[in-house]
Amino acid sequence: MDYFRKYLSTPQGTAGQPTGVETVERLVDRVQSSTLLDDRRDAVRALKAMSKKFRLEVGTQAMDVLVQTLETDRSDSEITGYALDALCNVLSNEPLDDDDESNMPANLPGDLGAQFTEIFTKKHENVSLLLSLLEEYDFHVRWPTVKLLTILLTNKGKDLQEAILVSPMGVSKLMDLLSDSREIIRNDALLLLTQLTKGNTNLQKIVAFENAFERLLDIVRDEGNSDGGIVVEDCLLLLTTLLKNNSSNQNFFRESSYIQRLTPYFDLDSQHTHSQAGWSAQKVTNLHLMLQLVRCLVSPNTPQQQVTACQRTMFQCGLLKQLCTILMASGVPADVLTETINTVAEVIRGNLQNQEYFASVMAPSNPPRPAIVVLLMSMVNEKQPFPLRCAVLYCFQSFLYKNEVGQSQIVTTLLPTSSDANQITAGQLLCGGLFSADSLSNWFAAVAMLHAIQDNGTQKEQLLRVQLATSIGSPPVSLLQQCCNILAQGGRFQTRVGLLQLLCAWMIDSPITVAHFLANTANVPYLITQVSASDSDENESIVQGLCAFLLGITVLYNDEQNETFNKSSLRQIIEKRIGLETFTEKLSQVPKNESYTKAAKKPHVSYKQSSEVTFDYEFTRIFKALEVDALDAVSTDAGRKENKAKLANLQQHELVVNQYKDIIQEQDQRLNDLQQQFLELQSKHSMSGEEIRQLKDQVQQLKDQNSLLKVQKGAQSNPAADARKDEEIRSLQDQLEKMRLDNANKDSAIEKLKTDVTVLEARVVNSSEEDKENIVPSESEILQNTISRLQSDLQELRTSAAEKDNEISRLSVQNNEAEGQIQSLKQRLESNAETQADPAQLAKLMEEKMTLQERVKKSNEENLKLLDKFNKMEEEKNSVVSEKEGVLEELDTLKKEQEDLLVLLADQDTKIANYKKLLKENNIPVEDDDDDEDDDLDDDLDDD
Amino acid sequence: MSYAYLFKYIIIGDTGVGKSCLLLQFTDKRFQPVHDLTIGVEFGARMITIDGKQIKLQIWDTAGQESFRSITRSYYRGAAGALLVYDITRRDTFNHLTTWLEDARQHSNSNMVIMLIGNKSDLEARRDVKKEEGEAFAREHGLIFMETSAKTAANVEEAFINTAKEIYQKIQDGVFDINNEANGIKIGPQHSPSPSLPSSSGGGAQGSGCC
Repeated sequence: MDYFRKYLSTPQGTAGQPTGVETVERLVDRVQSSTLLDDRRDAVRALKAMSKKFRLEVGTQAMDVLVQTLETDRSDSEITGYALDALCNVLSNEPLDDDDESNMPANLPGDLGAQFTEIFTKKHENVSLLLSLLEEYDFHVRWPTVKLLTILLTNKGKDLQEAILVSPMGVSKLMDLLSDSREIIRNDALLLLTQLTKGNTNLQKIVAFENAFERLLDIVRDEGNSDGGIVVEDCLLLLTTLLKNNSSNQNFFRESSYIQRLTPYFDLDSQHTHSQAGWSAQKVTNLHLMLQLVRCLVSPNTPQQQVTACQRTMFQCGLLKQLCTILMASGVPADVLTETINTVAEVIRGNLQNQEYFASVMAPSNPPRPAIVVLLMSMVNEKQPFPLRCAVLYCFQSFLYKNEVGQSQIVTTLLPTSSDANQITAGQLLCGGLFSADSLSNWFAAVAMLHAIQDNGTQKEQLLRVQLATSIGSPPVSLLQQCCNILAQGGRFQTRVGLLQLLCAWMIDSPITVAHFLANTANVPYLITQVSASDSDENESIVQGLCAFLLGITVLYNDEQNETFNKSSLRQIIEKRIGLETFTEKLSQVPKNESYTKAAKKPHVSYKQSSEVTFDYEFTRIFKALEVDALDAVSTDAGRKENKAKLANLQQHELVVNQYKDIIQEQDQRLNDLQQQFLELQSKHSMSGEEIRQLKDQVQQLKDQNSLLKVQKGAQSNPAADARKDEEIRSLQDQLEKMRLDNANKDSAIEKLKTDVTVLEARVVNSSEEDKENIVPSESEILQNTISRLQSDLQELRTSAAEKDNEISRLSVQNNEAEGQIQSLKQRLESNAETQADPAQLAKLMEEKMTLQERVKKSNEENLKLLDKFNKMEEEKNSVVSEKEGVLEELDTLKKEQEDLLVLLADQDTKIANYKKLLKENNIPVEDDDDDEDDDLDDDLDDD
Repeated sequence: MSYAYLFKYIIIGDTGVGKSCLLLQFTDKRFQPVHDLTIGVEFGARMITIDGKQIKLQIWDTAGQESFRSITRSYYRGAAGALLVYDITRRDTFNHLTTWLEDARQHSNSNMVIMLIGNKSDLEARRDVKKEEGEAFAREHGLIFMETSAKTAANVEEAFINTAKEIYQKIQDGVFDINNEANGIKIGPQHSPSPSLPSSSGGGAQGSGCC
């Protein structure tokens, strides 16, 4: 011990004594070689003591030994603590608190800590070793370990982050420190975690996974929210680090309902009195961080989906309400108020529901005014702090962003109909700001008005209706004209820049506004003068550029109604007075400006000084989108007419060529199509040839099958019909037979008639020859009867012949039917053809069909025969009829003869009577018979 | 949005097996056919009901690529459930299961419920791993098994809910120490005994020396 004391008490000993390097060397040697823990512990303690003063020496020589001690003598917390302290001293770049500056070696390089850190972290085991030491509960081990890790992270963040990331449970062990009961360790752990997660998304996520949000929010709450101390600040810093630009963590934060837990942060009423004195610096800082925490969930550069969801939650959980309360509360420090306004701006931006809520917020003034009006009053009040005025503009812009209803509400307050003299309206304030003496107010009001009409054609037209009463007695001036007038008066830079931006935005997509603008003949000359001016001042070049842009817009959105300033005349004027190149150059000056690039970065109005105020974010977007269009509008026709003509020619030529190209292409296309079609057709053709052949085969097959089926059909379905036919034939035959019989009868009847006739003839002959009285009327009657019977017979025959005819026609119909059936069977067969392919069956069917056909033929033949027979019979009948006629004729003649005979008879009778008389007279007796006859004759005579 | 319990899940398995798609299907009920490589870990959440109790699932979808392995290891410890996913059309993803399981067992708490999932069951024609093999593997290692399709949503709900049921059962059986948040289980706000006092945050610190 004495040995060391000697060194320690006199570190910078006299010449004879060892130097720092030697001492460190000895101590290192001692740590390495001592077998006793006590000796090693003393040596390490000595090294620790020297590590501040001899930082370089201890670092270069003793680092390995110290690390080794951490491994080997881990069980002894004291020696471990010394070693850790020594390492802290060596690695830290922080100025040493308890040492005099004079004691410090002056020749040390500034980044010594970083170099040592690099050496230390080169071995990943070292980091793992430190992480494992965190498991030691002993304060002397844990605390310096936390400190050492923080130092390492501060010096070489990236390397250490990677090392911790790959060591399993590394983050878990660090997170466990947050639950350490010793506040100093917990608080240092907060700093450590902030360093750890800075800029490393993966570590941020893992820390969040390890319930960091919950724990941090708990700590903040337990520390009294915004009234808490620096621990709250550290927690909020860590929370912001975890959430900023990490959408996964933002999602987790929102999904876990942690947004709701932020609401009490802004509940100032219950926490504090309103007195200004109550706002400690720490509270201001805490509130600032709380507001920033809210903002990093809804800032415009986070994914829109995320922002919308968070905005909704913030409205629902009353966070927005709390913020608006702060907005209207009194006694809130200006910077907190400013940040609150910015926060409200981002919470409502682009979210209609939140915007509507914001519009409904009333300030607790007397009389109550809408919060918007109160805020605008601050904006156009030059006594208000500049950042606050910027914030109000941002809030106003956010209120109008994608909010047509809001825009219309604001513009309406400017219109004459709604003006209420007693009330201060947003419109009044904006107009007041626009024409106030404060150039910054002019700018704010102009830009605010720009947002009231941005992307809203209706409001652009509405704004044209606004009339201003300048002074008593003079006629009212339109707002547009008044803006131009002020511009022409050449006010201050910001006034002009603001008004020019408003005019540009106003005229875009609004030809009617352009027409109004051009109607005043003084406006274009003013712009021309501005653009053609050769002022090299930076600010003036911006004004000139904006004037050029405005000129371009008047051409671009020209409705050609104004004869003096239509598109072509404006182009000519620009060409003549300014020249295209100058115009282009002036226009291109605008985006080159530093303030332009700065404003284009984000919607937030973030000017640090009032003098910087130049461009509005929304305007930069408009400019970017239309710069080229404006230039084109001016340059298409302007100047270089030859060139233009050539260009036009060329264009026309190209157009024609293009047309031809198109045609050729089209033709080519068509040719291709046709070729394609031809090929298709060819293939189709060959295919259909093939198909036809197949079909033919099929048809053949079908025919075969059909014939088979016919046969089959004959076999299957015709027996009955055949039988019927047979029967019919038989009946026909019967009838024929009967007819033959009839014929025979008739023949015999005719024969009989003939004999009768001959008998009659004979009789007549007899009677005429022998006794003319022989002819009896009864015989003629008989004849008559025979004739009538013959006639009826004939009639019968005729009817039976007709019946036969019918029969025959019926038979032929039936035949047709049978034919039809066969046809249908054929079709059926065709349809069934594919399925019925049994050759044997087919053969059988064929056979059957054949026989059937045979039979049909036979029956046909028989029919024919029958017909023949019938015809013959008809003939016979006819002949009979003619015979009969002959007979009738004979009969007639016979009748005549008979009549003649009768006449003769009568003559003879009379003669006889005469003779009788004569006889009587001559007394010759007359036979009795004759008397009777006489009587008769007498009667006859009497009759005569 | 109050809940009785909150369970933390992780989804692990080879790259391209459909982990993110399973999560998307479960939380958003939609399917994204394009493989969007997960960087590190992504977060998703949904509320489910088991046994009449509202249970909030917080799901961390990990990157399957080897290069992210060290990062994803950090998520094992705090998870109550793990979905170990393979692709039934790629045998290699099935073959790697042992490695995944070893990794999970080594870094997680011993009670973590692991559900083995054979995903892409809609691609039956391209199947390379039989369902029986998955079942056998699950049996052998004491896992729950299910085949799912993130595309058709078949069994996706069931996979997440059955895992939750298993965890819930283990809580009922007293296997889980629900007061240790490192187990990946949290009791909902209305179930807490009382709003925690300022001192409670440091209360458990004595025991946190080792883990």
